[in-house]
Amino acid sequence: MSHVEHHVSSIKLLTTVFGGLVFLTVFTVLTAQLDLGPLNVPLALLIATTKAALVVIIFMALKWDNKVNTAIFGIGVLFVFVFISFTLFDTLFRGDLTNTVEGTIQDQMIQEEAMKAREPASDAIQFNRTPQ
Amino acid sequence: MANTHSDHPAHLQHHFVSSEQQFDAAKMGMWLFLVTEILLFSGMFVAYTVYRSWHPEVFVLSSELLNPWLGGLNTIVLLASSFTVALGIHFAQVNNKKGLVINLVLTFLFALTFLVVKYFEYTAKFEHGIFPGAAFDPHGVSHGVDYAMYNVPYARQFFSIYFVMTGIHGVHVLVGMGLFTWITIRAIKGEFSSEYYTPVENCGLYWHLVDIIWIFLFPLLYLI
Amino acid sequence: MSESASGPINYLSHDKSIKSWLLTLDHKRIGIMYLIAVSIAFLAGGILALLVRVELMAPGETIMSADAYNQAFTLHAVLMIFTFIIPAVPAVMGNFVLPLQLGAKDVAFPRLNLASFYIYLLGACVALGALVVGRVDGGWTFYTPYSTSVGDGILYITTGVFIMGFSSILTGLNFIVTIHKMRAPGLTWNRLPLFIWSIYATSIVQVLATPVIGITMVLLFLEKFLHIGIFDPALGGDPVLFQHFFWFYSHPAVYIMILPAFGIISDLMGTFSRHQVAGYKFVALSSVAIAFLGFLVWGHHMFVSGQSAISSTIFSLITYLIGIPTAVKVINWVATMYKGSVQLKTPMLYAIAFLFTFSIGGFTGIMLGVLAIDIHLHDTYFVVAHFHYVMMGGNVIAALGGLHYWWPKMTGRMFNEKLGKLAAALVFIGFNLTFFPQFIMGAQGMPRRYYDYLPEFQSYHLWSTYGSWVLGVGLFLILGYLIASLINGKKAGPNPWGALTLEWTHTTTPPHPHNFTETPIVTRGAYDFHLAKDLFAKGGEVSEVPSSAK
Ligand SMILES: [Cu+2]
Repeated sequence: MSHVEHHVSSIKLLTTVFGGLVFLTVFTVLTAQLDLGPLNVPLALLIATTKAALVVIIFMALKWDNKVNTAIFGIGVLFVFVFISFTLFDTLFRGDLTNTVEGTIQDQMIQEEAMKAREPASDAIQFNRTPQ
Repeated sequence: MANTHSDHPAHLQHHFVSSEQQFDAAKMGMWLFLVTEILLFSGMFVAYTVYRSWHPEVFVLSSELLNPWLGGLNTIVLLASSFTVALGIHFAQVNNKKGLVINLVLTFLFALTFLVVKYFEYTAKFEHGIFPGAAFDPHGVSHGVDYAMYNVPYARQFFSIYFVMTGIHGVHVLVGMGLFTWITIRAIKGEFSSEYYTPVENCGLYWHLVDIIWIFLFPLLYLI
Repeated sequence: MSESASGPINYLSHDKSIKSWLLTLDHKRIGIMYLIAVSIAFLAGGILALLVRVELMAPGETIMSADAYNQAFTLHAVLMIFTFIIPAVPAVMGNFVLPLQLGAKDVAFPRLNLASFYIYLLGACVALGALVVGRVDGGWTFYTPYSTSVGDGILYITTGVFIMGFSSILTGLNFIVTIHKMRAPGLTWNRLPLFIWSIYATSIVQVLATPVIGITMVLLFLEKFLHIGIFDPALGGDPVLFQHFFWFYSHPAVYIMILPAFGIISDLMGTFSRHQVAGYKFVALSSVAIAFLGFLVWGHHMFVSGQSAISSTIFSLITYLIGIPTAVKVINWVATMYKGSVQLKTPMLYAIAFLFTFSIGGFTGIMLGVLAIDIHLHDTYFVVAHFHYVMMGGNVIAALGGLHYWWPKMTGRMFNEKLGKLAAALVFIGFNLTFFPQFIMGAQGMPRRYYDYLPEFQSYHLWSTYGSWVLGVGLFLILGYLIASLINGKKAGPNPWGALTLEWTHTTTPPHPHNFTETPIVTRGAYDFHLAKDLFAKGGEVSEVPSSAK
């Protein structure tokens, strides 16, 4: 029976990576105490992504693993981005229609009737709905 | 691939042709399972992103109530447990049973430490009325922090997301502790060797993923 | 091969104890157990559908109150979608056929496979607990804030759906690994039967989408019982966000339902046209393309929900794109029939019926993806008709074709071909009679989910109800002659349809418990009829397993 050798990571490599991870953790806690303006969020996410990448590539040994497993992992991450970004297409642009009229159709009909009668709008007409 | 039944290793199931095929299949299955875990957590990351984009100032304010030093400590604890799992697999690969068992036990202890720290964090929040959902009512003063100040609209959403995210993550840590108990017992019985260590490897993969989720939760909830 | 007095041993006869069934790790037996469970769910959901149709025969209360009606249509939907259609083709036919077509002894993880069956049963029972304990009447979509503000029945349904999700994930995961790692020597990706390709695409969707319904159900649950304020507008939450969560799963879920149907149709088209499936690679890859594109269109269910116009536009445009790989399939199926010599056996009748009904369902789907048209048709019977043309006209008709096709392999018996053709005709006529009038009344403004309506819609509702009876008679006829075939059906040969895939050419009927006594070696594609002259030396009918399999 043929036996393919599995990759064995050396203790030295694992220790180095662990050291790097601890360093990055301390680094991100310290930088979060500084006020970097708009840079705080991207920096924290960049550090987190780097740490996650180290864990995936070295600790989870994806570097030496079957390429199919890399593809599976990549597709999973991709669909998380799809989920987040397509939801944001909605939530970041809620109420972006510019040609809408405030109030319901019924409100408009009442208004129309009121205008036809050439009378000032009655108290029933209240356009107090605000777009989100 | 001429296998007769006599040279089948004990761990080889009948429907596989070789140990290699069985190992690859198990590992691929595990990676697929990890993807389902990622997608499970993705829902909460979406909720976080959407509410943060709507109410950034509330999220910045609310995250002040979370202690970055305790969160940082827990991050390092989890990273250490990932490290010991990786070491454990290394020792399994080089047939060092003692090294394997020691590292598995260490991993379990780190996981326990993580949950203990989390317990203290949760109870400190509960004391000041910070609950997920309807019971949310920050009050009281401690360490010069007036909790009532944090009772602003949408703070409830931040803490709901915080408790749901860390809660489901905590459940995963508990499951991991169960898995490591099972793996450690099997390791003590000497069931693993460089020829067969698939369960160790797969539990390790699961544990690393739990770690990765926390690597993202930590800055999102505690730091920014 | 060991022979007993009653012929070679097979997976049904080698151990007949109840325990050997309940604890079996054999993918074929698990498939049969799924078949029984799923048929019961279909029967229950179908009876509810018939009751709903009777209620709608006349305006006003006919046989049930408005309240009972709301619960009946909700349960019909939940039963049909979560307990029937999602597991129907992948878990029944996928389980039975997939390892056989791959030349494998079993799926990669047989124990996980059995576990997934029991998880499904558990989930189904919990969901049905809603029947006993509380009322659920908001439709299968569980939209907030309605779902979080009424009754406790939702507790059971969401928990049940959450549990059944695990079953679906485990099945998908198992199949992906099996397809990657367990193919027989020589069975390259380009030689795979198209059923395998479509199950592969389905499994990808199951693995990627199902976890999201899991977390959605958890959040809904917490919203109801802790009021976490994520989805409830009264607490500052966003109900439209719930719809994003729900449809991120539930749009891809319709591909969990329809993609396996595509696979069955491809196999039927190849086999009964006696011809290589035209555009094999395009048909195969279009399944994968549909699986991926299916993740980018969920917002087309939310055009009137108040989501942003920019996202509606994006979702609408991508929805049109799905028409491309789908049309690639339909055109290639027609081309296969055109080039081949078509044999009108019962399974093929379903495949041809599918071409009509699915095409109508598909085109009306594109119509509903058009923003302006959707505003008019949203929440009308047009949507109900479209959905049933795809789900029933697509999935169920294909599943019936597949069931008839693989029935001899599963049971070792032939069904009555004449009754089979009669039932296929009844199903096709009854189906169209039921749902075509719904397109018309929907376009005229009949809203869905109401138990009462204006008198001008009554003639359409009457036709629709009559159609449901024809459909019901057809389905009960199928149940009748299939059960009869078990008792007095003609014994089936190993390859009664003259197909070229491994389950027909290399196994006995019914198959051996370990599928193959010797690992098959594949030398040609799944539909290479021109390379299989040896099998058809005696004029097209194949009656014996080739010597290589003995
Ligand atoms: Cu859709």
